[in-house]
Amino acid sequence: MLSIRNLNVGIGQKQILKNFNLDIRPGEVHAIMGPNGTGKSTLASTLAGKEDYEVLGGEVLFNGKDLLAMSADERAREGVFLAFQYPVEIPGVSTTNFMKAAVNAKRKHQGLPPLDAKDFLKMMNEKSQLVEIKREFLSRSINEGFSGGEKKRNEIFQMAMLEPQLCLLDETDSGLDIDALRIVANGVNKLRDANRSFLVITHYQRLLNYITPDFVHVMYGGKIVKSGGKELALQLEEKGYDWIKEENTELV
Amino acid sequence: MSLAENIVKQFDGTAATGAHRHEALEAFRQLGIPTSRHEEWKYTNIKTKLSESLSLGEVSSEVNAAVKNYIASLPPYAFRIIFLNGVFHPELSIVPDMKGFSFYNLHDLFSAPSTLLDKYYGRLMNYRQEHFAALNTAFVRDGACIHVAKNTIVNDPIYIQYFFTASEAQAFTQTRNLIVVEEGGSLQLAEDFRNASNIPVQYNHVSEMFVGPNANLDVVKLQLEVSNAVGIHTLEAQVERDGAFSAATITFSAPDTGTGRSVIRNNVSARLIGENAHADLNGLYFGKEDAHIDNHILVDHQVPNGTSHQLYKGVLDQEATGVFNGKIFVQPDAQKTNAFQSSKALLLSNSASVNSKPQLEIFADDVKCSHGVAIGQLDEQALFYLESRGITKPEAVQLLTYAFAHEAVERIKIKPVRQFMCDRLKEELKLNF
Repeated sequence: MLSIRNLNVGIGQKQILKNFNLDIRPGEVHAIMGPNGTGKSTLASTLAGKEDYEVLGGEVLFNGKDLLAMSADERAREGVFLAFQYPVEIPGVSTTNFMKAAVNAKRKHQGLPPLDAKDFLKMMNEKSQLVEIKREFLSRSINEGFSGGEKKRNEIFQMAMLEPQLCLLDETDSGLDIDALRIVANGVNKLRDANRSFLVITHYQRLLNYITPDFVHVMYGGKIVKSGGKELALQLEEKGYDWIKEENTELV
Repeated sequence: MSLAENIVKQFDGTAATGAHRHEALEAFRQLGIPTSRHEEWKYTNIKTKLSESLSLGEVSSEVNAAVKNYIASLPPYAFRIIFLNGVFHPELSIVPDMKGFSFYNLHDLFSAPSTLLDKYYGRLMNYRQEHFAALNTAFVRDGACIHVAKNTIVNDPIYIQYFFTASEAQAFTQTRNLIVVEEGGSLQLAEDFRNASNIPVQYNHVSEMFVGPNANLDVVKLQLEVSNAVGIHTLEAQVERDGAFSAATITFSAPDTGTGRSVIRNNVSARLIGENAHADLNGLYFGKEDAHIDNHILVDHQVPNGTSHQLYKGVLDQEATGVFNGKIFVQPDAQKTNAFQSSKALLLSNSASVNSKPQLEIFADDVKCSHGVAIGQLDEQALFYLESRGITKPEAVQLLTYAFAHEAVERIKIKPVRQFMCDRLKEELKLNF
């Protein structure tokens, strides 16, 4: 589904991703862990199409298509979703109207007519239950005055609404208390299926107690330095990141 | 012959002589038409926008299809006072028939002794120093005069509609309102200007509004459909003890058919002359093509414990230009004043521009005054957030522009107008939710 080959990305004068490689097949959950500042969020933002990041080389194929040639909105309509580390507050636009625009943009892309009001409402009701979001939240301005946990739940709600094929979770667990973490993780687990893949970026192993990954990768100095199964996450939890740093001193 | 000379020459000495006409003409003769050398007109060179051979004579006013359609679209019993090319049309108007509410066509008051005129007319409008107030006072014929008696509550809003249907491109239409709400009274009013013709229009509208003790007056000025217009609006309000006044000025530039003269100037002033009086002056302006929209606001706190609030939002696209000048005066006696001003403009194109100038003159020492001016583009983070959900860039821009402008629409106090403006804003931005 996703194939990243020798991806090099910089911001300003600084190169962040260095010959990054990763393959994700349908239905797989990959976790990317690593110390702060190793390029995890850069990877997520680059895949989602954020313009601040400059692709210096390499390619990314998504279902065989050149992802890097698409604008951010095209990528989303093709089925890529980024759950933001810091969801943006947008005063004046309700989540309902936002989702109506987004869902219908995707439907148009698929050659489907816009959802009528009744079907849209039904869909909102169903999906909001996944992450235990109250209806009143959806009529409020996007993320305005939401707590950290509410913002992250709203991200997963939007993910559920847009039914993407590739879900990028950028430190979705950061700043969550244990209840919020459980709700968010449950939402994600309910969305797992044989055709939907996840790239879960996290600094901590804790999230992976709730979302069980098929693969765990350790990122350091702009590339993956170690890959394994879910047991690798436990190892990192126990030993910290220092041994990774020591093994890869030449990368910094 | 200069433009001002041409105007003065058209003065009809036989018209009603009361109502300060001759004095105003004399003042206008001295003042003339301002140029950009006048501080108040620095960014709006109005002289170059008005046509050279203005005509102040009466023009025929035809009830055309556009007017009929618009009237048909109003709720059938909505109170409305209708003017075509500045001439009052009683047969198209529906005026409340209730105790304590009076409506007169100013023209009828001019021709007979009137205590209402003696007491109020020309008392707020400085026709001795303001160019267009002088011109209006010298030439105006018709206008709405509304008197709301003590403790009279008028529940339904009144729409004063100014249609332009002229076939005379040189006409310079003078219209005027005099609104008096006595102690404890309440009134909501919309002043709506529409060009219902295909030809350019030029008009100069003046309103004087008196808000008595503990009275309430809400005004919305709608300038949404004035294509090809040079429009000058001046509103002067005075608020007495415990009174509340609000004005929301909404300007959308309508398509210009190539005159290159689309200019709207709004002067809105509120003078708080009684303690604990309140004024809310809000606005939204939305300019496209080569429209020029100029808002000059003044709140004058003369006595203690007054509060005022100004929120102006501007959206300028293509080659449009905007001007915001917001003055707050706090006189030496006006202790414990609480005055707030915010002016934000959004530039959607590189060729759009705005000149924004807050001007606070505070002569009392125990006051709370704040102001903020911001001019900028849409937030890149917010745009990316919307795009990352599959919304195209143009649509994301529309959504965020709606969010930006909506804050001003929410301040409209007349509920049906607020609802209408919400829909109108969505239509303007081609949003369908």
